[in-house]
Amino acid sequence: MAPLKYLEQEYPILDSNFQNFCATHGIFSEEDLLLHDLHVLVAFAEQQSTSERLKQGITQVLSIIDGQHQPWLNGMELLEDAQLNKHVLSTGCEGIDLLLEGGLRMGQLTELVGASSSGKTQVCLLATSNVAKKHMGGVVYLDTGNSFSPQRVIDFIRQNSDPAIDQAKHRILQKVMNRILCHSVFDIFTMFDVLHQLEVNLRSQMQKGDCQVRLLIVDSISSLVTPILGGGGSQGHALMASAGFLLKKLAHEHNLVVLVTNHTVGGEGGISKPALGESWKSIPHVRLRLSHDQGSSIYNVSVFKHPSMVSGKAARFTIYD
Amino acid sequence: MEEVVASPREWIDRNESAKTMLARVLTARPLLLLPPLHRVPLRVGNVVELVGTSPSAKTHILIQAAVSCVLPKEWNGVHYGGLDRLVMFIDLDCRFDILRLSKMLKHRINGESNGSLKKIDQEHMDFDLWNNDTKKSPTYDEELYSLCMRRFLFIRCYDSFQFLATLKTLNYRIRKEQELHGISVHILMIDSIGAFHWIDRASTFMPLGATNRKTPSLQTVSETVVQEIRKLLLLHPMLVIATKATIFGDRYSMETKRNLGKLDTSNSRSMSSTSLQLPYREYMPSVWQTFVTHRVLVGASDDPFIRTNDGDCSLYFSEWLLPPQSFVDKFIVKEAGVFMVP
Repeated sequence: MAPLKYLEQEYPILDSNFQNFCATHGIFSEEDLLLHDLHVLVAFAEQQSTSERLKQGITQVLSIIDGQHQPWLNGMELLEDAQLNKHVLSTGCEGIDLLLEGGLRMGQLTELVGASSSGKTQVCLLATSNVAKKHMGGVVYLDTGNSFSPQRVIDFIRQNSDPAIDQAKHRILQKVMNRILCHSVFDIFTMFDVLHQLEVNLRSQMQKGDCQVRLLIVDSISSLVTPILGGGGSQGHALMASAGFLLKKLAHEHNLVVLVTNHTVGGEGGISKPALGESWKSIPHVRLRLSHDQGSSIYNVSVFKHPSMVSGKAARFTIYD
Repeated sequence: MEEVVASPREWIDRNESAKTMLARVLTARPLLLLPPLHRVPLRVGNVVELVGTSPSAKTHILIQAAVSCVLPKEWNGVHYGGLDRLVMFIDLDCRFDILRLSKMLKHRINGESNGSLKKIDQEHMDFDLWNNDTKKSPTYDEELYSLCMRRFLFIRCYDSFQFLATLKTLNYRIRKEQELHGISVHILMIDSIGAFHWIDRASTFMPLGATNRKTPSLQTVSETVVQEIRKLLLLHPMLVIATKATIFGDRYSMETKRNLGKLDTSNSRSMSSTSLQLPYREYMPSVWQTFVTHRVLVGASDDPFIRTNDGDCSLYFSEWLLPPQSFVDKFIVKEAGVFMVP
């Protein structure tokens, strides 16, 4: 948000007379304009000798403000965007795909909640391998707990491939693995840095067919946010909310699937509940709960929240070693 | 003043009877009676707040209201009973799913038109024996569907400044859209009003030089939001419906919950209010609280699922907090929309 004096170059009507007039009302930048009642300003401008020019300046400023927000769309335009750009990516896991009616949707933030070793990282790695291989999209994996395992991804890739194409396998494997970018982040500020850098890259990147980023995984976001929550201040919650908005913005504007994992904490009456509290509840689009049967490779997944599905729907799936 | 003085008799003579006045007002400013908001008639100028934890079907209620608003009263002989107006939706949560709106609108259109087609079929069975009637329904459905979808105007905001910028230019935008469509805007929806609460609360700006300069804080942002909406309602009378997610999770509300737990023995998911205490913590500044004219509490009910013909549906309750009502409504959300459960 620029101070008014920097706007003078582009809009000569916002000259020093206008800036002085605004300064007398405590307006020095665009943010101040947003917090001020412009009708009152117009009324004050009428009393000045240069009222016509001032009013033109205010009109100009209003049109600058009109460019500050996202464009208005109607329902048909939104629908077209959803149908053209926001496809569904399968996770490679039939149970989850069936539950989610196809898979993870682009443009949405999906959260996997589960206790430790309930399969969250496994699902993330499976989704990574599937997106990199079948959908041929780039994957950005933000790993907070050193749980990213390239070997496991290779296992998943090898699982479903045709044994007949053995010769070209090494090359294909290399190509697929090259689409996966893993960053180790251990605090929330590093995550913001990585995400902002990703945003810049996505904006400036020409859409090269193969390497378009399709999946963004943060495993796990709760380990980044939990240390800063609490303590009575609102800074932690503000950072969590900002992180949520940034992830959703990336998902929507660049048509990504964003997958985050969250752990559970003890709740009322001993029932475990997702971590990160009440304010986080309204941030993800879809919330899934994972659990693992002891000693077997069968996992349960159920829907906590979904924009168009009743919560409680469940499915089972298996992940083979 | 001259005209009034010239003939005082004319001035006392009535302009219209109460009946004609009611007829005029009800067509120009229709009442909104939708489940589950149907207990209290809502009209333009009202500001309704839907409070509830997440998930509690708040956005579904908004979508249902939007569908009812954009549909025309009658189209090609089929009665839809809509308000025939525009809807403006400001998405602050950035979670809106257009496919859900599209599905609910299609269900509503097909439901109504199938109902009336059956009637027509009965009457014209002899004539239309060789006509392929099914060819007719997709074409006028599609036209109506795209007309209604285009009446739904949407914007999303990623921070408070974008929200303020949207509100400041909303007057101009509404005028433009009204000229384009030829009909006025009836509902302004905001989902959800507390989305930037934490971010605004934590924003500490350096003390700025001039004393009359406003620092962007939670208080100033909320005041500006209320002020802008108030001015907007003067120029374009609309119904404002805002959703608000509750924020539990601090010691105050834990005590409240424990007290409630002693009073009613149902499980912790229950949220109906007692006579004195609110079951959630009010976090919006008082300038917004006083701006709200109606308040409804929605949430998941104790028995979360009921079995219907279409499978399991989530059961929710809705309770009017302002004006306070003594009963609690129950509703379910199906594929086709929100339906009351008796």
